[in-house]
Amino acid sequence: MLHYFIDAFAMIGMSYFMGFLFYGFYRQFNARVQRRWGPSIFQNFFDNMKFLFKTETIIHGPMFFFGPMIIFAGAVTTVLFVPYLKDSIWLQGFSQSGNMILIVYLLVVGPLGNALAVGSSGNPFGVMGVTRGLTRLMGLEVPFLLGLALVMVQHETASVHAIMAAQPDFAHWNLVTNPLAFLVMILPFMASQHASPFDVVGAPVEVYAGPRVEFSGRLLGILMTQNMMMTVAKLVLIADLFLGGATTIWELIAKTFALFLLTAAISTSFPRLRTEQTVDFFWKIPLGLGVISVIATIWFPWS
Amino acid sequence: MYHHDHCEGFQCEQQQLEATLAHSGGELGALDRLIAWFRQRSLFVLAYGTGCGAIEMRPLMTSRFDAERFGIIGAATPRQADVLVISGYLAIKTLKRVIRSYEQMQEPKYVIGLGSCTINGGMYWDSYNTIKQLDHYLPVDMYVNGCMPRPEALIEGFVALQKQIANGAPSGAMRYRENIDWYKANQRRVLGDNMPPDYTYDWYHAGDVA
Amino acid sequence: MLKLLFLSLALTPAATLFTWNGAVAWPLFDGITLLFDLTPLAAFFMALLAIGAPFVALPMLRGKSDEPTYALYAVLLLGMQLLLLAGDFIGFFIGWEMMTWSSYLLLLRSPRIDLEGAQSYILFNLASAFLLLAGMLFLYSITDDFRIQAIDGLLTPDKWALFTLFGLAFLIKVGALPLHLWVPRSYDQAPDVFSAFLSALMSKMGIYGLMLLPLLFPDGLSEISGRFLNGPVAGYVLAWIGVITSIIATFKAIAQEDMKRLLAYSSIAQVGYIVTALGVGSSLAIGGALFQALVHTLVKLLLFITIAGIILQTGHRRFTDLGQLISRMPISFFGVLIGIIGLAGMPPLPGFAAKYLMYIGLIDAHWLLLLAALILSSTASFVYCYKLIYGPFLGHANSPEAKIATEAPWHYLVPQILLMGMLVALGIFPGWAIEVLIDPVLIGLGMTPIGAPAWSVLATSYGGYDGIAVMGVFATIFVLITALFFLGRGRMHRATSSYDLSFCGEVPTAATPLHYGAGMGRELRRVPLIGWILRHTTINFYSGLMHQTQATAGMIGTLYGSNPQVWILFAVLIFALTLTVQMLTGA
Ligand code: SF4
Repeated sequence: MLHYFIDAFAMIGMSYFMGFLFYGFYRQFNARVQRRWGPSIFQNFFDNMKFLFKTETIIHGPMFFFGPMIIFAGAVTTVLFVPYLKDSIWLQGFSQSGNMILIVYLLVVGPLGNALAVGSSGNPFGVMGVTRGLTRLMGLEVPFLLGLALVMVQHETASVHAIMAAQPDFAHWNLVTNPLAFLVMILPFMASQHASPFDVVGAPVEVYAGPRVEFSGRLLGILMTQNMMMTVAKLVLIADLFLGGATTIWELIAKTFALFLLTAAISTSFPRLRTEQTVDFFWKIPLGLGVISVIATIWFPWS
Repeated sequence: MYHHDHCEGFQCEQQQLEATLAHSGGELGALDRLIAWFRQRSLFVLAYGTGCGAIEMRPLMTSRFDAERFGIIGAATPRQADVLVISGYLAIKTLKRVIRSYEQMQEPKYVIGLGSCTINGGMYWDSYNTIKQLDHYLPVDMYVNGCMPRPEALIEGFVALQKQIANGAPSGAMRYRENIDWYKANQRRVLGDNMPPDYTYDWYHAGDVA
Repeated sequence: MLKLLFLSLALTPAATLFTWNGAVAWPLFDGITLLFDLTPLAAFFMALLAIGAPFVALPMLRGKSDEPTYALYAVLLLGMQLLLLAGDFIGFFIGWEMMTWSSYLLLLRSPRIDLEGAQSYILFNLASAFLLLAGMLFLYSITDDFRIQAIDGLLTPDKWALFTLFGLAFLIKVGALPLHLWVPRSYDQAPDVFSAFLSALMSKMGIYGLMLLPLLFPDGLSEISGRFLNGPVAGYVLAWIGVITSIIATFKAIAQEDMKRLLAYSSIAQVGYIVTALGVGSSLAIGGALFQALVHTLVKLLLFITIAGIILQTGHRRFTDLGQLISRMPISFFGVLIGIIGLAGMPPLPGFAAKYLMYIGLIDAHWLLLLAALILSSTASFVYCYKLIYGPFLGHANSPEAKIATEAPWHYLVPQILLMGMLVALGIFPGWAIEVLIDPVLIGLGMTPIGAPAWSVLATSYGGYDGIAVMGVFATIFVLITALFFLGRGRMHRATSSYDLSFCGEVPTAATPLHYGAGMGRELRRVPLIGWILRHTTINFYSGLMHQTQATAGMIGTLYGSNPQVWILFAVLIFALTLTVQMLTGA
């Protein structure tokens, strides 16, 4: 029992820590690309703390208050169901009682709970943002899960542990053995991280900050916190599935950072797409690629 | 009742810049000092482009002057903002929106008046439809003098505000709460019946004046 | 008194389920005997009926007693039990007809029914019945037997004929595209509570029928059509029918502005998933289909009854006329909330277990394109789920009635609360449902059972999950973070006006259109695929078909010139041609 508690806290703490450092790095990176100095690497931590210590927070009814709690609970649950390390008893959380499809669905539980809060605020801009978010989700989820399904078919299991165990060395990484699956799911994965070309939903100034329009003070702090943790959980999931997982914390950080760098590099270079362009893009390029790889790797006898 | 008549123009700015030097912040507890430090490190700005000074807000945020290195970044809605920048003259029509936006911001919140127009009316001193002294309508924490002030000046204003916050100086919102009658009376004088609705300062009615 | 009698009648399916033992043979007249038995498959659907019947009956009891309705409902229940118990096609057909006609008469008692709705209901259902009749007579003509059992030794064309006849009959009942026209109309126009019965239980009879097909042709699906990857080709076609149905119905649902029509389309979509899973035909997928049938029954009962309560209290059924009911009808809010979580297949609730089994079934069959399509429709369903809860409960009240509405009467609330309890319990114990409800059916169908190591665990060869762990972790974190939040420093206060919104500095008033209920999903039309789907209706499809047919007929007509010589020439030519062909083939 005690083990579970320590483990859970370690996972939560680590996700938070990595989360704000990664985002801090992202802001630095972005700034350097734009030839600026950029903020300190801890800037996201400062922002987050500032919001958590605001002295005033407005709510619009009980559901509005519970929305951020649901999204936070969803994020932490996700974190706890993703195994962070391979062949270790630490940083496992409850991942033994979950699987890949469960994790993918857990990723959306929180945002949907928060959508209720946005709705109950009565701000039409927020709801507009939610609708855009759901629309984008509709676009990205299809190729994303298709990419993961290719891996599931390859290993005939939905368990993240089993898939990690099947990739002992570089030559067996799914990135190497099933590169098509990686290509299919990487862009939707970026969109699920709210990264730049696909960030029309929550981007500031775009429909007035989207779903977050009415959130202020400490509730906004909660939303920021869960976002950072969720980002790390998703990165770890992809590192587990395609980069063979990690046996040490340093390896984990290196792999997730590499993935993060990839997303950061792509998102600094491309301008934002409209919602329907995003959906259309996902249904054409990544999904088309997905169909090709299904035909190439599953339909034909040589596979 | 608070009244703002002991300074004018650049004097106000000078006073504010110097005020922070006198204030040490030593009376704060450790946690409060930490919180104050976080607050000053992260300022979300609601840039209300009211007058010509708004043109200086863009270079402030972009590569040349890069305010983000001070933790200053734009916010999209008043709910998320800490600092309201009033950039220049304020038409009466706009004043209503500004007041509403200010009241919708969550405390602690700060106001920066940018340009001479916010201090004494500037070159619009005799205009029929702009307000002359912003401080009569909203509690200003920091003035940045000039017509129009360059981004460097604005950055200096921000840095002074940061020092003020780090020292634990109370935000102007306190003054607003304490003197709400005076502020509302002033607002009513220019806005007439066209006042913003009163539910945005509901704490006033609730008898919750801090 | 009458009401009590009626309620006890509504409990008959439960009574049948628990007291039935042994088969009954009832010699009708010489040579023909009616067989009745409760097979495991029928028992599963009987259980659904046993749950649903009293829940639908309870809200019907409200107000003045309405004897004809009660009587018809009783006949309907009797018919459905007959149908499920029947061991041969005669009993099955009698039950089917009783169900069709009594439900039709019930439908006619709705004040909102119009000629079009009534006609389409009865025409489509009669078509289904006649296809069924044709199928069973055809079966009799080749096997001299009416019993529902495995048929072997059939020629392939005969099999195909039977398969198509029965398949079409049941697909009409489940409302697969393009045979679904009657569904939205009748679900929409039926008495509000009765819609729950139509959607939750009667559509399941079509599923029951479809599940009899593998019983009729044991591994016949792959035998008559060969295999594609890991499943039968015929099943592949069926699965695509199901998934295309569900995609189109989902987008149609998003575009609806009426709550009941939205639910009707969502029923089509959800039943489409079941058809897809049936097409796969592996034990995992069939298990998923059964699970989905179970969840869909519970969810649709819950949603339709709750919506009926809202309509009763406000008199409005359109999203544009409602809003902000969350504080006035909190229990109904939770009803719809739990309902849409189940509908969307979100993890803590059993909808996820069903989705999981179906996904795994498709992955196991290596049918990944189908999987992608299924994911598309199930993700798109989030939009209409959100619309369903946002429209009535959140946002701003849009009509005077919505501003003063009160919570629904207890007749509506009791079923809601019980159904919510069942859904949550099933979500925590998916293994229980597998063990107790689904595995017996699978064994009865001669498939490998899925099995569950513990009641809370859903386990498959592809891995599973633990309901208690998911729910427990989520609830713990939720409680912890809420507590921490209250312990933290800082004042939290509630906005005193619902118009205190950040609205670009403007002040919204009652006249500002703040409710986004109707507009939601409208911008989806800009996505090319969705726009295309929403622009084309099935009615247009049918009228297009008609035009094409007429055009073809016209074209063929031109061949027959007015000149008799040409006719004769044609006749001679064709005669000669047939003769030649026959000569060549040696006949
Ligand atoms: S101070 Fe000068 S630049 Fe600024 S608003 Fe007034 S007139 Fe324009």
